[in-house]
Amino acid sequence: MPIILENVSFSYSKKTPLETSALREINLRIEKGEFVGILGEKGAGKSTLTKLFNGIFKPETGIVRVDGLDPSSREAKRKIGMVFQQAADQLFCKTVYEEIAFGPLNFGYSKKETEQRVYEAIEAVSLDQTELSRDPFSLSGGEMQRVALASALALRPDYLVLDEPITGLDPIGKNDILKTLNRIKEKGTAVITVTHNLKGFFPLLEKIVLLREGRIAFQGSRESYLKKGFEPLPPIASMMKELGVRGLPVNLTVFTVEDALEEIMKLKSILGTDNNENK
Amino acid sequence: MIRLEKVSYSYPDGTPALENLNLVIKKGEFIGIIGKNGSGKSTLALQLSGLLKPQAGRVMIRGMDTRDPSKLPEIRKFVGIVFQNPETQFVGRTVEEDLAFGPENLCFSPMEIRKCVDMALAETGLEKYRHRSPKTLSGGQGQCSALAGVLAMRPECLIFDEVTSMLDPESGISVMEIIKKLHRKGKTIVYITHNLEELHDADRIIVMEKGKVMLEGEPKSIFSDISLKTLGFDLPSLIELAETLKTHGVIIPWEKTASPQSFAEEICQLFLKT
Ligand SMILES: Nc1ncnc2c1ncn2[C@@H]1O[C@H](COP(=O)(O)OP(=O)(O)O)[C@@H](O)[C@H]1O
Ligand SMILES: Nc1ncnc2c1ncn2[C@@H]1O[C@H](COP(=O)(O)OP(=O)(O)O)[C@@H](O)[C@H]1O
Ligand SMILES: [Mg+2]
Ligand SMILES: [Mg+2]
Repeated sequence: MPIILENVSFSYSKKTPLETSALREINLRIEKGEFVGILGEKGAGKSTLTKLFNGIFKPETGIVRVDGLDPSSREAKRKIGMVFQQAADQLFCKTVYEEIAFGPLNFGYSKKETEQRVYEAIEAVSLDQTELSRDPFSLSGGEMQRVALASALALRPDYLVLDEPITGLDPIGKNDILKTLNRIKEKGTAVITVTHNLKGFFPLLEKIVLLREGRIAFQGSRESYLKKGFEPLPPIASMMKELGVRGLPVNLTVFTVEDALEEIMKLKSILGTDNNENK
Repeated sequence: MIRLEKVSYSYPDGTPALENLNLVIKKGEFIGIIGKNGSGKSTLALQLSGLLKPQAGRVMIRGMDTRDPSKLPEIRKFVGIVFQNPETQFVGRTVEEDLAFGPENLCFSPMEIRKCVDMALAETGLEKYRHRSPKTLSGGQGQCSALAGVLAMRPECLIFDEVTSMLDPESGISVMEIIKKLHRKGKTIVYITHNLEELHDADRIIVMEKGKVMLEGEPKSIFSDISLKTLGFDLPSLIELAETLKTHGVIIPWEKTASPQSFAEEICQLFLKT
C-alpha cells in the first residue's frame, strides 16, 4: 500500500495577516520501495510536504493516507521515519545509544528487542559500536546525520523521509550517506528525499516530484522528467539540454559522464560525415 | 601580504589542527581552500584573521605579527571573516544596527560609520532590508547581511568559511556573485568550500589534509590531479567530461568547462564548423 495525498492544501498562520499558502491541490502517490526525489526552488513547499507525510502538519483540505491510515496515528508513525534538515535539532539524548533506542522504547519494544534494533540500525548506517557511548553533540555533521538516520531506521519504517540529508557535509560524508540510502532502498524501504544536490542524488532517483510555488509541476519517472526538459538538472543533463537547444540531435535522458561521452562521440561521427559531404 | 611560516596549532584539549604549515597569500588573490572535515580549514581561517595565534611559527599580516597584542586592532581592520551560520554573528536589532557594530568597535567616527554601513548595504544589495531584524532574513539574505557586517569595516582581505554550504543553489550563486565582484574590485579573498564548482575561476586552490597543505596550484592543474580523487573528492562533472573527451581527441578548453552553456557552445563550435 502507498502514501496517498488527495487534493491537499496547506497554509501557515491560517486566518492571520501572515497567512502563507504553502501547498495547493497536491495529488501524489508514493509506492512502497520507491526512491523519490522532491525537487523545487527555495520556498516551493518541499519541507512542508514532508511534514504532511508523518502528521506533524494536518492538511487544510484534502486527505493524507499512509497505507490507508491517518498519518498522525501511532500505527502510521511507526511506518514513517523522518530525518530533518538539521540533524542536530533532532538529537536530544546523552548518548548515541539512547538516541537510537528512544523510538523503539517509546513504541513499547522490550529492552532486548530494542538493543537488537539499535545494532541493526548502526550497521545499516555503518556507525561503529564504539560510537554508541559518545555524546551525539560531540559528533561531526556527517556522523550526526548518520545517528539521525539510524534513529529513524530503528523503527524499521516502510518509508524513510529526509529533508536535504547531505547539505553541508564534506564530500566523504555525502558519498557515505548516498551509499547508505541506496542500501536501505535495496532492502525494500521507500526513500523519499528533498534535495538540491542533483549531482549526488540523480543516479538514485526513480521518481521525481517537482514543486513550484506550492503546486506539483511534475511527477513521474526520472526519464520522463528529463525528456520533458524540466529543471533543475544535474550539470551533465543540463549540458545535453543546451546541446538540444542549439539544434543538435541529442538524447536528453543522458546525465552521467560515461553516457555523455558516448553521446558526444556519436554526434562527432554523425556531424563529421555531414561536413565531409558538404565539402 | 599574509604569510604563514611553519605554523603549528593544537586546541586546548590537545587536538592537533595545523602542523608546520607554510602559506603565502598575495594581494588581490582569490584563493580557494578545500579539504575533508577536520583537515584544519577553519583553524587556518582563524589564524589568517588573527583570532587564533600559533603555538609555533608565526602569522604575518601585512608585516604585523598576530602574536603582538598591540597590532590586533589594526589586524581586525585589515581582515574580515564570514562563517557558515550567520545567525551566530548577529548582534543588532536591525540589519543597519548590526552593520554599525563593527565600525563602532573600531572607533570609526559617526560620519564614517554612516558611510561604511551605506556602502556595505549597497554592495550586498540589502538596502531594502536595513530596518529589518537580521533574525527574520532568509538563509541567503542572512549570509549577505553577515558579509555586509564584515564589509562595513572596510577590510582588504575577506575570509569565507563554507558560507554557501547551507544555502539553496540560487542563494548560493547570488552570494558567490557578490564575492566575485568584491574580488574584481581588488579585495583579497580566501574562500573555503566543499563545492569545487565554486572554485573554477579561483587564482589558486589549496588542498588541506591533516593540518598541512597537501596540494596547491591553479584550478586547472588541481582538478586534473588524480590524488584529489584518492582524497574523496569528486571532480565537477563537466571537468570530468572534458578530461574524458580529451582522451578521445575532443579538446574542450578549460574556460569552457565553467558552465553547461559554455560547454555546449564549444561542442557546437567544434562539430558544426565547416
Ligand atoms: N513556519 C512557517 N511559518 C510561516 N510560513 C512558512 C513557515 N515555514 C515555511 N513557510 C512558507 O511556506 C512556503 C513553503 O516553505 P517550505 O516548505 O519551507 O519550502 P522549501 O522547503 O521548498 O524551501 C514558503 O513560502 C515559506 O516562506
Ligand atoms: N574548538 C575546538 N576544540 C578542540 N578541537 C577542535 C576545535 N575545533 C576544531 N578542532 C579539531 O581540530 C581539527 C581541525 O579542525 P577544523 O579546523 O575545524 O577543520 P575543518 O574546518 O577542515 O573541518 C579537527 O581534528 C577538529 O576536530
Ligand atoms: Mg526546505
Ligand atoms: Mg570547518
